[in-house]
Amino acid sequence: MSWWIQLLSCGIAAASFSVLLKQPKNTIPVSSLIGMLGYSIFLLLHQTTLGYFLATLAIGILCEVSARIMKRAATLFVTGAIIPLVPGVGLYRTMRFAAEGRYSQAVQTGVATLLGICGIAMAITISSVLVTALWHRGAKKRGKA
Amino acid sequence: MDSITTTLDAVCLASQIILESGGETYRAEETVERMAQGLGIPRVDVLALPTGLMLTLTLKEDASISRLVRVHSRNTDLSRIDECNNVSRMVADGRMNAEEALKALTDIKRPRKEKRGAMIAASAVTAACFTVMLGGSWYDFAISFFCGALVQWVLTPLSRMRVPPLISSMIAGALTTLLALVGTLVLKEAHVEPIIAGAIMPLLPGLATTNAMRDTIRGDLVSGGARLGEAILSVMMLAAGIGLTLSMWGGVGL
Repeated sequence: MSWWIQLLSCGIAAASFSVLLKQPKNTIPVSSLIGMLGYSIFLLLHQTTLGYFLATLAIGILCEVSARIMKRAATLFVTGAIIPLVPGVGLYRTMRFAAEGRYSQAVQTGVATLLGICGIAMAITISSVLVTALWHRGAKKRGKA
Repeated sequence: MDSITTTLDAVCLASQIILESGGETYRAEETVERMAQGLGIPRVDVLALPTGLMLTLTLKEDASISRLVRVHSRNTDLSRIDECNNVSRMVADGRMNAEEALKALTDIKRPRKEKRGAMIAASAVTAACFTVMLGGSWYDFAISFFCGALVQWVLTPLSRMRVPPLISSMIAGALTTLLALVGTLVLKEAHVEPIIAGAIMPLLPGLATTNAMRDTIRGDLVSGGARLGEAILSVMMLAAGIGLTLSMWGGVGL
């Protein structure tokens, strides 16, 4: 499959997952676009643990900013946008190796998957704290001017 | 001035809806505080957990009223959280009194007609598109489409029969794997890996994990830990369903 079909299907998947979460309709295109962007960053960084971290950081910052612009809760955007990054392949491979009795490979894949999840979790935390702090400062400055 | 019971009812209902729809606990607490302030309550103390909510409204020096609300079922419904937010914002700005808010919230709380067909279609499209995203072919796309549809079709009656969510997540994992294995047996060109990996994506507890992180940053350690535990358990059950089916399939030797 060529890369643009993969990216397009990423966007469609993110959007239809938002429908499953019963996300308000006008926020779905935004979160789906952010999800696509995040996944392309992840692909450009060769699907490493750092890639998980940086892609999620971009997603988190964009979601927090668009939540503030659209005056909506950030959770509405984050959940739909982050889903393409969730390491489903890693989870499946870990279970397949474990079922086949290849335990050292199962542990190896399992740890790599876990690190990816940790990267995602850390990036969500950092982006939320960062945007909240900066936005607050910016609002104060605007108020003074 | 609204009667104090109406105020209490409205405030409790708002945070109950947020907790039942999968919102963060700090959001439930903030909603209570903001609404109570907007309704002219001088002091409010509230503690929200994923499984319940306690609050005390203090009216005067020696007059306070408390209530405990238990939250039994938790679903994901982001639009309900959004509507609740709108109501609480209007109450906080003084554009709505307690009685109007209570009426609006009762409307939000009322069970809605589930569009089951639309949900099954959404689940099927999600699974199929994730399969392609993860490098699957069009054969994989077709099989994954059926996996997603079947899982959603089975999950709805399971939740109606009050099967614990952890068990249904294991059943979902097992069903997906079984269908993928049978599918690749029929369509020789298909690959198991992208099908299963794509089809389990919508089953992974994404909202629970992000909420756990957001709760923990805010310092709600109890809620954060509880939600993280829930997420880890649900992933483990899903993985157990996949692993069991894979090893049984291997045992049969097809």
